[in-house]
Amino acid sequence: MASRTSLMLRGLSPYYCCCCFFNLSSRSSSSSSKLFFLGKNSNPTIRYCSTKATGGASSLPPPDVTHLAKTARISLAPNEVEEFAPKIQQVIDWFGQLQVVDLDSVEPAIRAESLHENAREDIPETFENREAIRTSVPSYDDPYIKVPKVLNKE
Amino acid sequence: MASTFFRTIQTHPFLLLHPTAVFRRKNGVLRCTMRSTQTQTPTQEKQQSPQIKFSPQNPNKTFYEIPKGYEAIIGIETHVQLSTLTKAFCGCPCNYGSQPNTSICPVCMGLPGALPVLNSKVIEFAVKLGLALNCKLSLNSKFDRKQYFYPDLPKGYQISQFDMPIATGGYIDLDLPVEFGGGHRRFGITRVHMEEDAGKLLHSENGDYSQEITSPTLQYVFCSFMLIFRGSMVDLNRAGVPLLEIVSEPDMRNGMEAAEYAAELQRLVRYLGVSNGNMQEGSLRCDVNVSIRPVEQEKFGTKVEIKNLNSFSAVNRAIDFEISRQVLLHSQGQGDQIVQETRLWEEGSQETFTMRKKEGLADYRYFPEPDLPEVILTKEYVNSIRNTLPELPEMKRRRYEKMDLSMQDVLYLANDINVADYFDATIARGADAKLVANWIMGDIAAYMKNEKLSINDVKLKPDELAKLIASIKSGTISGKIGKEILFELLAKGGTVKGLIDEKDLVQIVDPVEIGKMVDKVLSDNLKQLEQYRGGKTKLQGFFTGQVMKISKGKASPGLLNKILLEKLNAKN
Repeated sequence: MASRTSLMLRGLSPYYCCCCFFNLSSRSSSSSSKLFFLGKNSNPTIRYCSTKATGGASSLPPPDVTHLAKTARISLAPNEVEEFAPKIQQVIDWFGQLQVVDLDSVEPAIRAESLHENAREDIPETFENREAIRTSVPSYDDPYIKVPKVLNKE
Repeated sequence: MASTFFRTIQTHPFLLLHPTAVFRRKNGVLRCTMRSTQTQTPTQEKQQSPQIKFSPQNPNKTFYEIPKGYEAIIGIETHVQLSTLTKAFCGCPCNYGSQPNTSICPVCMGLPGALPVLNSKVIEFAVKLGLALNCKLSLNSKFDRKQYFYPDLPKGYQISQFDMPIATGGYIDLDLPVEFGGGHRRFGITRVHMEEDAGKLLHSENGDYSQEITSPTLQYVFCSFMLIFRGSMVDLNRAGVPLLEIVSEPDMRNGMEAAEYAAELQRLVRYLGVSNGNMQEGSLRCDVNVSIRPVEQEKFGTKVEIKNLNSFSAVNRAIDFEISRQVLLHSQGQGDQIVQETRLWEEGSQETFTMRKKEGLADYRYFPEPDLPEVILTKEYVNSIRNTLPELPEMKRRRYEKMDLSMQDVLYLANDINVADYFDATIARGADAKLVANWIMGDIAAYMKNEKLSINDVKLKPDELAKLIASIKSGTISGKIGKEILFELLAKGGTVKGLIDEKDLVQIVDPVEIGKMVDKVLSDNLKQLEQYRGGKTKLQGFFTGQVMKISKGKASPGLLNKILLEKLNAKN
């Protein structure tokens, strides 16, 4: 799923935020701002932000990485939790720079862009290659998708 | 053979998620709780037309009275599946009952790179419903992601509306059924918002309904299937279908009020044409929240959620049961045993059972849906929708009340918009309201029930019904004849005048002619005449019948009676 960067920080999963950062870096090539890139199983490559990441250190609470990983269904070993916590903190702090902006005289906006509503007509359109979707499902038991037994919602 | 398998299943832990079982054997019939993807055959009372009067399983059950000193607080969350042609965020068709996983595309399957695009009909229906529920419409609203993991949720989140729903702060008016004491109620509506449905999960712990498998062979096959396959199955045809969630204020005070609220919502969505509103099919789903408190207490008691309600009567009975359960615990000093949890209503045993205890509130990590723009409504748009609203059930009921119809009549006629339109069309042609109501609620309703038709399929059209009533009123034909030709008109259509001419049904109102017939009958039946004059006055009916016979039923009953009596008593 494509996404833009208007995210609330609390809900970030480590993998999720590195995706968005990857997008950012590819777009802002001209400013040559280097960003912190973190892949799930790769060696972290550190690129530095051009603006001070720790300036105006956020008053946002530190992330509970164990909880984050649990809600994102990503299993982390204890050492990974320790390793990722400061890195996530840095991501948060980078966004946290926005905290210094004075918003007292600004009307809250629902959305960042002012796109006009683009709704479509209620006309059916069958997707041509449904077969490809079905065959790409790892455990397809015609005509159902087979899934493991799940006890609890959420 | 089936029983062996049943016993085997009992020892298999995964199939018994909770003690009252996915499988229950009752009266030699295997019942399993599951969601089916094909067309369902519900075991509960099948409803052809909207229910106005739900009869509890035990018709002798009297209206449940809450024990003195206690008050029940009930709120209902209703999900209405919209009858749009396509899903909420993609062009996949919404087909009920099609082969599993055929109405899919990358968007509703949550495949990478796919983006949602809102279906404009969803907004239209949401505005319609919001207006009909007297809500305040938010000219600006947005979508949010409600994140959780479950096999029937492809994206890992549901696109919903969290803090800025499209409609808030409304109310719904309804009339309670006459047989429950009648009365008028107004229940508040907290909010209405748009969201998408999840797929269907087969063999989930949340059974939607019970399916009876009576054939022993099928029981064997089904049980063995379940043993071999230790998982669940997902059908995503339904994933992405648009829903409107209606949250009520906790204004209901007992099961009957709650059931009537649900019935009125069904009536409303059908009137508006936004949904089938069918609980059995799943296009109308209700979850209720029940708590009790001692009458003097201001603080609300602990709220318990009840799911798996598949009919209005189930709503009624489940709530009454839950109230009695909670009151019993509280009155025995065990009020702390009432915990915030979700319970399932079990139709077979007529009880609620714990599904799972809520470990704190679920953390859905709501945040604004980045892939969808703001939903902006203009005043002009809202007004244009307002102008297309039909006369709503409440307004119809008030209008019919003024027509000197009984409350029973009013509730019946206003229940189904098609019946109401038929009624309105007939009285528009000058027929008397009460007479029309009698015909519709009597013979026509009986015909519809027998033939399993809706009033739109009936061949007798409003203008012919009006003519029929006029013919009887003017004396052209007798009431009895009218009833006779009604059946033919209903089944085959045709005109009243045509049938009267064809079958020579015109009532005989000429006293001379009737007199001649009476004379003939009396002279043909001298013995009976003597008996009558001797005191056996009951024989008058015999003579009436004889005259009717020779007149082929056309003699005017009133006139016949008068002339017959005259002649019978004349020679005295």
